[in-house]
Amino acid sequence: MQEEIFISGRNIPNIDPVLQVWHFPISLYLFLGGMAAGIIFFASLFTIMRKEKDFPTTVKGAMIVAVIAISIGLMALMYDLTHMFYAWQLYTTIRLESPMSWGAWVLLIVSILSFLWVFSYSTEIFPKWDWKFDWLKKFQAYLIKNRRTMAMVMLPLAVILGIYTGILLSAFNARPLWNNPILGPLFLTSGLSTGAAAIILFSKNHFEKHLLTQIDLALIILELGLIIHLLMGMAAGSAVQIEAMQVLVNGEFTVMFFVFVVILGLIFPATLEGAELMGFKVPSVIPALLILMGGLIFRMVMVEAGQITRYLY
Amino acid sequence: MKGKKQKNRHVYWNPYFGGFLLGLLIIATFYLTGRGLGASGAVKSTVVTMVHTVAPTHAENNAYYSKFIKEDESPMNNWLVFEAIGVLLGAFLSGALTGRLKLKVQHSPKISGRRRLIFALMGGLLFGLGAQIARGCTSGAALSGMAVLSVGGFITMLSIFGTGFLVAYFFRKNWI
Repeated sequence: MQEEIFISGRNIPNIDPVLQVWHFPISLYLFLGGMAAGIIFFASLFTIMRKEKDFPTTVKGAMIVAVIAISIGLMALMYDLTHMFYAWQLYTTIRLESPMSWGAWVLLIVSILSFLWVFSYSTEIFPKWDWKFDWLKKFQAYLIKNRRTMAMVMLPLAVILGIYTGILLSAFNARPLWNNPILGPLFLTSGLSTGAAAIILFSKNHFEKHLLTQIDLALIILELGLIIHLLMGMAAGSAVQIEAMQVLVNGEFTVMFFVFVVILGLIFPATLEGAELMGFKVPSVIPALLILMGGLIFRMVMVEAGQITRYLY
Repeated sequence: MKGKKQKNRHVYWNPYFGGFLLGLLIIATFYLTGRGLGASGAVKSTVVTMVHTVAPTHAENNAYYSKFIKEDESPMNNWLVFEAIGVLLGAFLSGALTGRLKLKVQHSPKISGRRRLIFALMGGLLFGLGAQIARGCTSGAALSGMAVLSVGGFITMLSIFGTGFLVAYFFRKNWI
């Protein structure tokens, strides 16, 4: 057991010297939120481009996955709160300088819009379903007519949601591993890539699968670049950042990070996707599942590792 | 039948060429990791971890398991475990590149798939037991051992293949 003796009065349990407040539910939420943001991004994009006919799974089936993911993610988030019933107070204010305020509002709007989105497609997905009331049917017809408008609102919000999952962590200025601007784009890229993987997992349309595999491959390469950027940026930083980086490069989370995230979750599925695009027969479920698993472990590593990094004193 | 054989002909590499590559791999392994490679070690680590999770007291009191249990380190934190993960990935990739990614049981046309699986399981059990008594399997003791000219490696190799040669007569009907 490691013990530290405080003689300064800095005795703040669970915060100093090591943060111990965020655990698996937060990682799960960040993963599901990022994945949902990715799916919503592609669904809105293809709708704005008037290509929804070519991407049936993206705009229909995968959006159901996104709605479920957001719901489970929100439940995990609420479960983690100590004062669950004060959560509504987030909606009594708008604070542009607070990532959590951004996240709370964006999440609210995005989840309502994606629920409405799935509702607008419900008759198409389940042809036998009947929304008994006339006003519901009228509302649905109204939504179907305004789907592109919805997509135009959702597209930027999905990007913000994806970035927010990373910025939420980088707003912690006392945790050096989190406190860097790359985390936002990195989590966004990872969210888009896991979103694409989720669509590939459910898609049966060859064209849709092929294009999303191409997009996913590009995103993974970008993500690897951002990870290198993150590590090199930290390595070129102050002693605090160099020490923080050791957790990933030469410490407690090295195996988790490099074996399960970088190799199993990024490089290997990227190789399989590349082989698939070159015409080799690879069951696309395997790379898709590996990417999703890698995305979740990545969130777990970043949440857990970030909390043990600290300023030196 | 003949057509199928013809089709499968080029799927696998020449075994002698494979053996040559394996030799090169051993050199690379010694260079990169400073030690040999192994296959049964990963299985052993997995078994020890499982027993230790389910019945910690039993594992700690057992003369065999207790050797691999350390206070603050999981037995899974072993390079052989990661090597085994790599073997799975590499095998999957090679299967994908040669178009062999299919769930099937390969067996002689004269026996059923079930019989093949039962005999494979029995053989695997015996081999696992033997590998632990001999402190290593074909790769861990024989291959890596012979690469450093260990007498034990030569004896293991001769014993494994010699015994195989001797008892093959009794089990040949499973293959021919």
